[in-house]
Amino acid sequence: MATIREQGYSHWDGRLIERKRPWWPLTTLGIRLIFRKKNFRLLFALSFIPAVVYLVGIYASERMEDFKFMVRGSAQLLKIDPAFFKSYFTLDPLLFLMVMLMVFACAGLISDDLKHNALQLYFARPLGKRDYLLGKSAIIAFFVLLLTLIPGLVLIIFKLVFAGSFGLVRSYPWLPLAVIGDSLLLTVFFVCYTLLLSALSRNRRYVMVMLFTVYLGTDIAYAIMHSIFKNPYFALLSIKANLQQAGAVLFGQRPPHAFPAGLSFGVILAFCLIAAWILQRRVRGVEVIK
Amino acid sequence: MTAVLEARHLSKWYGNVLGLSDVSLALEPGITGLLGPNGAGKSTLMKLLTGQMKPNLGQALVRGERVWNNIPLFRDIGFCPEADAFYEEISGWEFLTALVRLHGIGRAEAAERAEKALGFVELLADKDRRIRGYSRGMRQRLKIAQAIAHDPAIIILDEPLSGLDPLGKRKVIHLIRDYGREGRTVLVSSHVLPEIEAMTLRVVLIHQGKIFAAGDIPYIRDLIEKHPHQISVRCDRPRDLAARFVGEECVLNMSFGPEGRSLLLETFKRDVVFGRLPGIILETGIRVEEITSPDDNLQAVFDYLVGK
Repeated sequence: MATIREQGYSHWDGRLIERKRPWWPLTTLGIRLIFRKKNFRLLFALSFIPAVVYLVGIYASERMEDFKFMVRGSAQLLKIDPAFFKSYFTLDPLLFLMVMLMVFACAGLISDDLKHNALQLYFARPLGKRDYLLGKSAIIAFFVLLLTLIPGLVLIIFKLVFAGSFGLVRSYPWLPLAVIGDSLLLTVFFVCYTLLLSALSRNRRYVMVMLFTVYLGTDIAYAIMHSIFKNPYFALLSIKANLQQAGAVLFGQRPPHAFPAGLSFGVILAFCLIAAWILQRRVRGVEVIK
Repeated sequence: MTAVLEARHLSKWYGNVLGLSDVSLALEPGITGLLGPNGAGKSTLMKLLTGQMKPNLGQALVRGERVWNNIPLFRDIGFCPEADAFYEEISGWEFLTALVRLHGIGRAEAAERAEKALGFVELLADKDRRIRGYSRGMRQRLKIAQAIAHDPAIIILDEPLSGLDPLGKRKVIHLIRDYGREGRTVLVSSHVLPEIEAMTLRVVLIHQGKIFAAGDIPYIRDLIEKHPHQISVRCDRPRDLAARFVGEECVLNMSFGPEGRSLLLETFKRDVVFGRLPGIILETGIRVEEITSPDDNLQAVFDYLVGK
């Protein structure tokens, strides 16, 4: 006969909401933790310098008379067109700053969980592997979009405001889409790049070093190979070159390297697919004994 | 009645290492102790029952539903893993609130529940301290808090008492017993047998990935008929007592304890011996200090079952 037990507890009376974004608490916690790092806050502030410079450029472009003494022969630089936006999105310092943000903010996203065995706590809750990866991706997306999509749209808006006309949008109606497209491309790439390397080690410091050296290393490898063989296709080895090549095409500009830009898209896509496959294998709730 | 937790011919192996072999088990509300030495397969069984691992063979069921990849079921399960699993840089309260929120509970409600759970494990005073500064016992209690904070009906605790001081152990044992009394299904593992004994009489003995026995401790003890029961009588004249028992057929063997202050009787008929003892004591006037059954505990049962 079944034991009769004292039902002394009472269940929670509140309504349990079936959340559409079960990963959201992971994202908010992650972002909050990142902003607690003092050094990071400084770097974060510095990473907006390119956007501010470009904003000043837009302002100056509308007040050419006032800034004539500064621009002199460089008026072409302040021509606000898709090339101006492409130059922002493919700017070496901007890409480098994004890598540095990944190094200092996002290196531990998965490696810390692996180190602290936190995955088993997450996966003992109503949170699937996909939700977990989405939650972590959203943290990276937050930072990348803050440096790409938001400044890109702000630059367009300020251009319209300073010019007092819709001339830019009328001339290039696809420009906002290009801004969104390149921002998404950069976001997807940095999500895959950072999460992949973060999942490869339990040690955040190793991941930080990897994030930095892989980015620089691929570019150095390209520079060396290109200087020896004079073949532009070696740019496919470089993360930076591929992002710049793809970015140029999205903004309707001539690609910086002499090979079809589709190849760069292919390299980025292949990299992301491999990263997704590895993440699928690396992220699991329990240790696998070998 | 459908069992709350059920394992049906569960098997799990890691490469060439067998973790669990053809384990079948059905658990109902109340506390069940999962006992076994290190590497016996306790954690593997718990991880399979909490849906964290996919079995190679068989099924792990919660309320009759397969638990693997059945994410909605996880709302009603509280799991306390054996290993530490903390973000060291945040406070215990933040850690707990974040985990409760993953159950789909809103921010305010999660904060309230986290605070309540911290109160249960008596960590409320240290809730704002960073986990890095927590002692081993506090970390252990925090792990238990995260397993109970969302008020689950099923609580699975992997070695919850390890690292706790005696006072901390007592508190956690009381807490677990309260949960068992409330009708929740609690599965608690340990390799320290007296700890389980203090919580429940219902045990599952596991060794080398197999269930050796399952049931109440006295029931399991009765299963082991080939091993005689032991009765120890600590008294002032154990040899006189032995002389009276020599003629009793119910006694198989006798020996004297250290310093000659106790008599150890071995018998298949424990009830007969216990029935005879008071009369003999009264007749001989022996002053008895203590009567115990040294093998009527889990360690003895476990030793018999694993063939020690």
